[in-house]
Amino acid sequence: MSRERLKELCLELPLFPVTSVGSFPKPDYLTQARADLQKGKITAAELRALEEKATAFWIEKQEELGVDVLVDGEQYRGDMVAYFAEVLPGFQEGGLVRSYGNRYYRKPIIVGAVEWTKPITVDWWRFAQERTDRPVKGMLTGPYTLMDWSFNEHYPDRKTTCLAMAQVVRKEVEALIEAGCKIVQIDEPAISTRVEELPFALEAMQQVTNGLPAYFVTHICYGAFEYVYPKVLELAVNNIDLDMSATAGRRLPLMQKDPFTKDISYGVVDSHSHLIEDVETVKQRVAQALTVLAKEQVWLDPDCGLKTRTVEEALGKLRVITEAAKAARAEHITQ
Amino acid sequence: MKLLLTNAGSYPRIGDTPELQLLRRTQGALDRKETTPESLQAAEGALVKAALREQEEAGLDLLTDGQVRWGDPISHFAGKLAGIEISALLRYFDTNFYFRQPVAKGEIKAANGRALLAEYEFAKSNSSKPVKPVLTGPLTLARHTLVEHPPYQQLDPLVRAYAQALAPELEALAHAGAEVIQLDEPALLRHQTDFPVLQRALQMLTKHKGKAKLALYVYFGDPQPLYERLQQLPVDILGLDFTYNPKFVERVIALGSQKPLALGLVDGRNTRLEDAAAVAHTLDRILLRVKGDACYLNPSCGLEYLPRDRALAKLKLLTQIRAQTKGHK
Repeated sequence: MSRERLKELCLELPLFPVTSVGSFPKPDYLTQARADLQKGKITAAELRALEEKATAFWIEKQEELGVDVLVDGEQYRGDMVAYFAEVLPGFQEGGLVRSYGNRYYRKPIIVGAVEWTKPITVDWWRFAQERTDRPVKGMLTGPYTLMDWSFNEHYPDRKTTCLAMAQVVRKEVEALIEAGCKIVQIDEPAISTRVEELPFALEAMQQVTNGLPAYFVTHICYGAFEYVYPKVLELAVNNIDLDMSATAGRRLPLMQKDPFTKDISYGVVDSHSHLIEDVETVKQRVAQALTVLAKEQVWLDPDCGLKTRTVEEALGKLRVITEAAKAARAEHITQ
Repeated sequence: MKLLLTNAGSYPRIGDTPELQLLRRTQGALDRKETTPESLQAAEGALVKAALREQEEAGLDLLTDGQVRWGDPISHFAGKLAGIEISALLRYFDTNFYFRQPVAKGEIKAANGRALLAEYEFAKSNSSKPVKPVLTGPLTLARHTLVEHPPYQQLDPLVRAYAQALAPELEALAHAGAEVIQLDEPALLRHQTDFPVLQRALQMLTKHKGKAKLALYVYFGDPQPLYERLQQLPVDILGLDFTYNPKFVERVIALGSQKPLALGLVDGRNTRLEDAAAVAHTLDRILLRVKGDACYLNPSCGLEYLPRDRALAKLKLLTQIRAQTKGHK
C-alpha cells in the first residue's frame, strides 16, 4: 500500500480514488483543426488555442464529475509513442501501421541515438494543473513500450534500446517533478509482450524512477498479464493500472494466490465498447475486486484511455465510475 | 532447385495517398452509418487490387490478397462460425496488433463451408499470377479462444472442432484452383507441447486439400526446438521464421529438410532492410540441403506490421536476393 507515499507528498485522496488512464476523445472541431493544419489552412498557434480549449473542457468535466486525480486528456497528442518520437532526436516518423480494426498509428523508426534535449510534456501538465486544485497526473510512455512500439534501425538489440529509452524518460520525469508534478504515470502497455524480456523492462523502470520524489503509476493493458504475474509486481512504481472489467475472473484468482502488493488502478469499464455500463454493474465489479484486494489499495478508472469513445460515451463512463466510487465509500467508510 | 518468391500473408491496407486510405475512410463512414456495407466491400476490393499489383510489380511469383478483408487473423474466420461469439480486444502474440477474442459458447459449426472462397476468387480474377489463400490454423484459433462451452475445456476437442470447420474451406479453395494453401500456426511455437494435438488435426485436414499443396507456416518464435518434428507433419511445405534465433540457419543446414521450405529470412517485423548478398549466400547454403524441386522465399510473417513503403521495399528485396543466389531462379 502506498498511502504513506501519498502522505509524504502531501496528497490527500479519498478511499477508492477515481482517475482516468490518460486520453479522452477529441471534439470534432479539434479533429478538423488538425486536418486543417496539415493542409495549411490554419496556423500552429490557432491549433494550440483549440487544444487548450479542449483541455480546459476536460479538466472542467472531470472536476464536475468528481474525479479525484485528473489527466489533461491528451488533446494535443496523436499516438502515445509517436508523440514523443516527434520531438526526440534519433527518431524518424514512420508510415501508418494498423493496431486493430480500423485504427492506425504512425510507428516511429529509431535511426540514431535517442536524446532528451528539452521538456516534452511539462507545458501541457502545467496548463492543466493551473486549472484545478486536484492533482493532475504527468503522463509518459515507458521505456519498454517506446522500444517495442518503434522500429529499430540503430541500436544493436532490444535491451540496449530499452535502457537507452529509460535515460530519456527519466529526464522527462525529473522535469515534471521540478515543475511540481507529484503523480507521474509511466505507461507500459507493451510490458507483457515478451515474458523473457521482463527482467530488462523492470531494470529500465528502476532506472526511470529510482530515488525520485513522486507517486508512480504504470498502466498495462490487453496483454498476457498472467504470464508476467507476480514478477511484474517488481516494477519500481507505487500503483499498477490494469484493465480488469473483462479479465477479473481470471486475474483475481492470481492475485488471491500471490497477493497484489501495490496499489491498483482497477479498470471497471470497457474503454472499447459503445455501451455505457450501469452503476450497478460497476458496483458489482468493485465488490468483486474487494473480495481479493484491500480497500486502501484500490483506485478506480476505465480499462484504458477513452480516446476512441465519443465525448458523450466518455463522460457517461466516467460518471458511472464516480457514482460507484461514492457508493463504495459510503459502504466502506461506515464499516 | 527452383526458388519462388511469395508473400507470407497479410499486406498493409493503408498507405499515404488518398487512394490507399479509401478503406479507412469508408470503414469510418460505415461506422457513422454514412455509407453502406456494399461500399465497404468495394473499398476492400480496391485495396486487395492494390496489394496484388504491388506484389506483382515487386516480382513475386505467388501472391496473396493481403488478407485485406480480415479484421484480424482470429475473429475473421471464427466469427463466421455458429457457436462462437466475438468479444474483447487482446494483443496478438508479441505484436502491437490486437485481435477480437472468440468465445466458444456452444458447439462450433461451419456456417456454410464457403467463408473464404469468395475472397480467393476475387483475388484470383484480379491477378495475373497464382494466388495463395491464407488460413489461420485450428490450433492458433483454439489457443486464442475463451471457452464457455464445457466440452471444449480440453484443447483437443476444440482444435478438432475448428479443424472440422476449416476442412470444407480447404476443400472449396482447392476445388477452385488454389495450387498452394497456407495454413498459419504461430501458436505452435508458443505452445510446443500442443504438437500432438496439431498433428492429429492436420492428419484430418490434409485429406481435404485435394490437389493443392498445404504449406504450414510457423512464426513469431524460434522453430528450432520443433524443427525435426515439424518434418513429420502431414503437410507439403514448411514455412519457417528465421528472425528469432540467429543460430537456426545453421541447424537447418546441418539437418537438411525432407520437405520444401518457405524461408522467412527477411524480417517482416522491422523496417531495417537486410543485406541482399548476405541473405542470398545463406539461402544458397540452405537450398543445397533441401529435398524437392522448389522452395519459397518470403518475409518471416505477413507484412501488415510494416508501413506500406517498407513492406513494398521488403518484397523488392526478395527479388534482389534471388538475383544474387547461385542459379536458383
